[in-house]
Amino acid sequence: MLTDLVSVVVNTIILGSIYGLVAIGMTLIYGTLRILDMSQGSMVMVGSFIGWGVLVVAGWNPILAILAAFIATFGLGALTQLVSVQPLMKRRNAIDFEMVTFITTFAVAMVLTNLALELLGPFQRNVTPVIAGGLSIHTVDLPYQSVAMAVVSIALMIGLGLFLARSRWGMAIRAVAQDLDAARLMGVPVGKLYPLTMGLASALAGVAGVFLGGLYFASPTAGDLPLLEALIVVIFGGLGSLPGTVYAAYAIGLIQAVAEAIVSVTWSLPILYGVILLVLIFRPYGLLGKPSEARL
Amino acid sequence: MSAPMLEVEGLRAGYLDTTVIRDLSLTVAAGEVAVLIGPNGHGKTTLLRAISGLITPDAGQVRLDGEDVAGRPAERISALGLVHVPQGDGLFAEMTVEENLMMGAFPAASWRARRRELGRVYEQFPIVADRAAQRARTLSGGERRLVALGRALMRPSRIMLIDEPSLGLAPVAIDAVYEAIAALKHGGATIVLVEETFTHIEGVADAVHVLESGQIVASGPFAELSVDPAIVETYLGSL
Repeated sequence: MLTDLVSVVVNTIILGSIYGLVAIGMTLIYGTLRILDMSQGSMVMVGSFIGWGVLVVAGWNPILAILAAFIATFGLGALTQLVSVQPLMKRRNAIDFEMVTFITTFAVAMVLTNLALELLGPFQRNVTPVIAGGLSIHTVDLPYQSVAMAVVSIALMIGLGLFLARSRWGMAIRAVAQDLDAARLMGVPVGKLYPLTMGLASALAGVAGVFLGGLYFASPTAGDLPLLEALIVVIFGGLGSLPGTVYAAYAIGLIQAVAEAIVSVTWSLPILYGVILLVLIFRPYGLLGKPSEARL
Repeated sequence: MSAPMLEVEGLRAGYLDTTVIRDLSLTVAAGEVAVLIGPNGHGKTTLLRAISGLITPDAGQVRLDGEDVAGRPAERISALGLVHVPQGDGLFAEMTVEENLMMGAFPAASWRARRRELGRVYEQFPIVADRAAQRARTLSGGERRLVALGRALMRPSRIMLIDEPSLGLAPVAIDAVYEAIAALKHGGATIVLVEETFTHIEGVADAVHVLESGQIVASGPFAELSVDPAIVETYLGSL
């Protein structure tokens, strides 16, 4: 029982941190652009292949894999914004912007998934662990590699928080999220800021992809489940609320893991979604979301 | 003779298929405080938004120190030294007062000097300094207005547009706001001010323009227009 609980906590922190990375990016995008970016799953997928390519095919080191995934998915995310969102920006008040961009970013996701299928085939690529060894706590094995993933994920989340809180461009992102007109009057170039925001969020998803590829495998559909998980985390935490997203990422992991440890694996998902359903019935705007438009 | 600081010529602007501003022309000299007066819903706010680029004019020119900026986006016009304090203050509600002020210094050149400018604003508005760490949404209406004015002072500007600074404030708060505007005037600022009535502008207005149905129907010095019975009675109720 103690063994179970320790492994529950450990797994919650590791998986919650990685999924939190994807979810926090979606929250950043929703808070700033008011869109649910369905291409974030493909950024995870692209990240997983970059991890596989750098680590397995090229045999380079993991820091390089993380950097490469960050940079490549940053560019891809910024490009996705320019292609599938920016052209609609001017007419955002005349159309159902949230719905249309939901579809256009989904279209980008489909293109990326099928590109991966075409170029790399429908295979699951194993990424062998690159950091050997591990800790053992109460007979629970804790690979150093998983610890490193959690540490880097948490560091990235803290880094994003500091960037938003302190830096000139981070503050500009929050300003745009809270009052677009006022931000423009301050001189914030929204035409640059939107691709920057989507690039940043995608880069976090890309890094999460490297980690998830290491935990499971790289494949053209590697981003599907993370996208769904992130969507649930984002809505459960309250659309547009960064702290809410972080809490929700760990809460969901914890609920699922506790249900697994105490009841059974079969019942862990029904219990998780039961709890989510209850919370959303009583707080339709999520844990820390706001009924109004106050965001980020 | 240098170009006027602001020259609006033949401006037409509005929203979707509603034209609010029709063929409007307006000239504001450097160092002048021009006040646009008129009843609600006749285009004062729309005019300011068209000048600052928040809405794109349908026709006409907006020359800022001789340079036509009509049709450029707000962020580009802002970078040329136009500061617009919008109706309702436009504060970032979830940011602290200090963060709001720092956003006023967003352009790269001003950002480097933000600490010094913060000190200057705090000195001028001690009440804003007291609230520095509070989120903007927790402030009273009068405090918010002062933060909005303070934020406008965080960077050097060539012209300031201020939309109804007295709106929704208690008399004592209005006095504080107009004290600040008078200080700006004495500092030589060029200002376009929007108000609904003559009540508060006596100490600051150089020229007054009466705006009705999207057009300027009367212009003149404050002393002249404020005693013109036709104008006072028709548009503005009591003085």
